Amino acid sequence: MIFSTELVKGTLKTIVLKLLEDNTKMYGYEITQTVKEMTGERIQITEGALYPTLHALESEGLLTTETEYIGKRMRKYYSLSQKGKGATRERVNELADFMNTMNMLLNLEPKKA
Amino acid sequence: MYQLSDAQVEYILNDIRRNGVDMEDLQLNLLDHICCIIEHNLGDKDDFEGFYRQTIKQFYNRELREIEDETIQLLTFKNYYAMKRLMMASGIFSTLAFISGSLFKWMHWPGAGIMLVLGIVTFSLIFLPLMFALKTKEINGAQDKLITGLGFLLGMMHCMGILFKVQHWPGANILMFGGIIGLAFLFIPLYFFNGYRQPEKRFNTILTTIILIAVAGSQFTLMRVHKPQANEVRIQAEVQK
Repeated sequence: MIFSTELVKGTLKTIVLKLLEDNTKMYGYEITQTVKEMTGERIQITEGALYPTLHALESEGLLTTETEYIGKRMRKYYSLSQKGKGATRERVNELADFMNTMNMLLNLEPKKA
Repeated sequence: MYQLSDAQVEYILNDIRRNGVDMEDLQLNLLDHICCIIEHNLGDKDDFEGFYRQTIKQFYNRELREIEDETIQLLTFKNYYAMKRLMMASGIFSTLAFISGSLFKWMHWPGAGIMLVLGIVTFSLIFLPLMFALKTKEINGAQDKLITGLGFLLGMMHCMGILFKVQHWPGANILMFGGIIGLAFLFIPLYFFNGYRQPEKRFNTILTTIILIAVAGSQFTLMRVHKPQANEVRIQAEVQK
């Protein structure tokens, strides 16, 4: 089963930041492929969601970029800025909290006595 | 792995541009992404153009431009919360400045002018534009956005007119009349017919339209009775004799 775009969209920034924390520098296609492989193709990040998110994170100052030319085309590598490193911790913690709350809300775990 | 020629790379880039993606950064990102997909998935003897067409379709729902629109929206609204806070602060400030300015003016105390100017300028040039920018995010459809924009513009014009009038600056009447006439003959009809056509908005549209007509009417009357006509003054003077 592939998760719906709506579900993934709210967590996309956190996913991208965490991947960049673990992999130092990545380019767009690499990000989509890594997520696909790591989740057994259950999360497929669309190009229409990824690039707007990367641009937004860059303009928020959380990412830095470097470019590399491959023949006539340009490849843009993204990595975390100093500010981005702090933000990654915050967002991952926030998402973990959110998942715990959802577990409680939806009764996914048996209540502890 | 498929080897793309320079001509093929050029072909893809031109196609991205033709489909309405104008941001250079985004063009180059998409170009590299598509090239990667082709290089990893296309066989040496496969049809390049057919595969490219198939691939690019997966990037969007209706048209490729969506990606750029989404990017612009995210970039514009990265400061959404800051804008909201500034809107609230400017709203509170302008209301306080306007109320105290009016009180000072009424009591003939010094400082009334500067308070009124600051209050109205903040309200019409900071609060209203910010409110419009934030409001349009919630509105779907170009027509609704256009009508809302017109409403805000006329509101700003009328507020500035009031300021010019209070300060006895030239051009006050043009601004005020322009604002009211635009409101009565352009905005209200457009707003009413546009909202009336949408069943879920019909009731609220009728109510708001009634209020708007009342406001426009009373403002117009106020402007007319503010300054007695020359012949009325003469008649009053004759009666007093």
